[in-house]
Amino acid sequence: MKKYMSVMLVMLLLLLSACSNKTAEDEGQTGNSKNPSGSITVWGWDVAAATMKAAVEKFQKQYPDVDVKVEDFNSADLYDKLTVGLAARGSGLPDVVLMEDERIPGYLHQFPQGFLNLNKLGYEKYKDSFNLAKVAAVQNEDGDFIAAPWDIGPAGVFYRVDYFEKANVDPNSIQTWDDYIEAGKKIKEATGAQLLPIDIPNYDGVFQMMMQSQGLSYFDKDDKIALESKEAIRAMEVIKKLHDEDLILNNKGWDGIVTATVNGSVATVPYGVWYAGTIMDQAPDLKGKWDIFYLPSFDGGTRYANVGGSSVLIPSSSKNQSAAYAFVEFFTTDTESQLLGFEKYGLFPSLKETYTAPQFTENNEYFNNSPIFKNFADIVDQVPQINVNENFAKASSLISNAQAAILLENQSVDTRLNEAKKQLENERKK
Amino acid sequence: MASKKISSKIIIYILLIAGVVLSIAPFYWMIVGSTLPSGEIFRVPPRLLPGDYLAKNFQTLNESLGIAKIFWNSLFIALVYTLISTLISAMAGYAFAKFKFKGKNFFFFIILCTLMIPSQVTLIPLFEMMVTFNWLNTYQAIILPTLASPFAIYLMRQNMKAIPDSIMEASRIDGAGELKIFFTVILPVTRPAMAAVAIFLFMSQWNSLLWPLITLNSKEMFTLPVALSSLIGMARIDYGQLMLGTTLSTIPIMIFFLLLQKHFISGILGGSVKE
Repeated sequence: MKKYMSVMLVMLLLLLSACSNKTAEDEGQTGNSKNPSGSITVWGWDVAAATMKAAVEKFQKQYPDVDVKVEDFNSADLYDKLTVGLAARGSGLPDVVLMEDERIPGYLHQFPQGFLNLNKLGYEKYKDSFNLAKVAAVQNEDGDFIAAPWDIGPAGVFYRVDYFEKANVDPNSIQTWDDYIEAGKKIKEATGAQLLPIDIPNYDGVFQMMMQSQGLSYFDKDDKIALESKEAIRAMEVIKKLHDEDLILNNKGWDGIVTATVNGSVATVPYGVWYAGTIMDQAPDLKGKWDIFYLPSFDGGTRYANVGGSSVLIPSSSKNQSAAYAFVEFFTTDTESQLLGFEKYGLFPSLKETYTAPQFTENNEYFNNSPIFKNFADIVDQVPQINVNENFAKASSLISNAQAAILLENQSVDTRLNEAKKQLENERKK
Repeated sequence: MASKKISSKIIIYILLIAGVVLSIAPFYWMIVGSTLPSGEIFRVPPRLLPGDYLAKNFQTLNESLGIAKIFWNSLFIALVYTLISTLISAMAGYAFAKFKFKGKNFFFFIILCTLMIPSQVTLIPLFEMMVTFNWLNTYQAIILPTLASPFAIYLMRQNMKAIPDSIMEASRIDGAGELKIFFTVILPVTRPAMAAVAIFLFMSQWNSLLWPLITLNSKEMFTLPVALSSLIGMARIDYGQLMLGTTLSTIPIMIFFLLLQKHFISGILGGSVKE
């Protein structure tokens, strides 16, 4: 009997000792807006969080009284935590949070009071420091900054130099999507490699790029659904044609794209600039064999689009808003911190004054000695502004379904896009 | 006749071997993957023999996670949780199975009802509670909320019901107190059920991701699933590191299972000869 009691006592002690693990948090002073002080917490994910951690050092030289703690999660986990915290009326949230741009409208819609209006804190003055499409992505409907712009992903087509040479295709000759398909046929004949990877039932990124290059998301500027526009139809028809010519490698998910990139089963990968980091990381043996060209275009469209990018927000529940704003302002407008993330992790800044730095303009040895980052920087101002709203994610999954039906079940482009449009309308009525 | 028997045996063996390969291959690949650098994992044809990158993977894994602390967190949480929760469910199950008290059926009904509430519903209120207690980022925030597991209570109750009342009556006549009866008579008899419950609870806590993820914020407090999940970056994933972490995280479950398996199996056999 005594033995059991002592076991229970030991367990109780263990539990109590675990309780005392928690260190007291100082929420004491917060300072004023001129001289912020106290401590703030920042949530980010992998390389972005690493960049933030690195930027803290310089930040603290400027603001010695502010303690910054960067906490690192994977992005899906971060959204889970953020949603729970916002639903619990701001409990347990950090003072600054990183978010992908396409998620911002959804969060604003669900939690209109969840984040601070940065215009009220004076962020308005940086309006011209960033490219227009990015600024549009982080502002609310009234044109106020809700998030401070950070990185972007201007899109291009990564291609295998050796495959193109073997098939005798000049990448500069690819101007339109038709040229792209023709080139794909030649390359397949010469090398056996397919043209590009698309996870057909789950990934509509190529469609998104095509739409943005024509100035649209799934919606037009007046917030009408654009899935039956001529732009949407011809985009989907190109994808169908690519599939009909057996040029699409239907590989599953992100791992599928990376696998195809590393093992040489595709000749091109249309993606955001940040994919350069992944290629260098995962395929060091292919040095000198990759390069980029701009997206092919449609009649009357541009050759530019953006894939991904993220920004930083301040949850309204932050108890130390002046310090949080000081960090956000510093982090998004300090050239050195931006270049640090770019150089080390390939995070492409939206702060325009960084683009003249040598890291941007020099030739890249891995990428066939081309100045690929300069090439990307050159186009950021021309990336069309598009309307991303809270239904973006729903529209994306509907289009992925439509894409699967059109390519894999041979349904017609018009009917399937029409159906997707109707489904999206129903979703919006809810 | 004999040849027919042999041929059917061959077919059975082929099917069984296929089953073994199907269930072991992913594990094997995970172990091989943990000894390869990330780029090698995607090579076609895949490498089927372990490489020499294990130490390097371990080093990077340790650098990015601090593997000892993470392991300790997971182990501490899972063990304390399993111990206390098994005891609680045994006690509750015993009370519901063997005692008569007012509202017994009503309370049992309530406990069963909580089985029907999806955990997502309680997530946010529970989280708010943890914030109010200032318990974010602590062990108790993970251990306490699910300590009384309705499923385990139910399982223990069903098992305790099978124990004849006469055992308890005999002990009472011999002058044993109620606690002594519980610890020295009832618990040893229900060892197999307790082992099953303990394995179930240990696994569910060891693998639990969402709740620890929501309540834990700093790297030093992460449990293994949360830490492994944090390794998956936006654009870069070190698969070798991830595979090694996953391999390591399966080891304690295996050990725990093997330790309790003995009780588990002896219980099944013990039951079969009793009647």
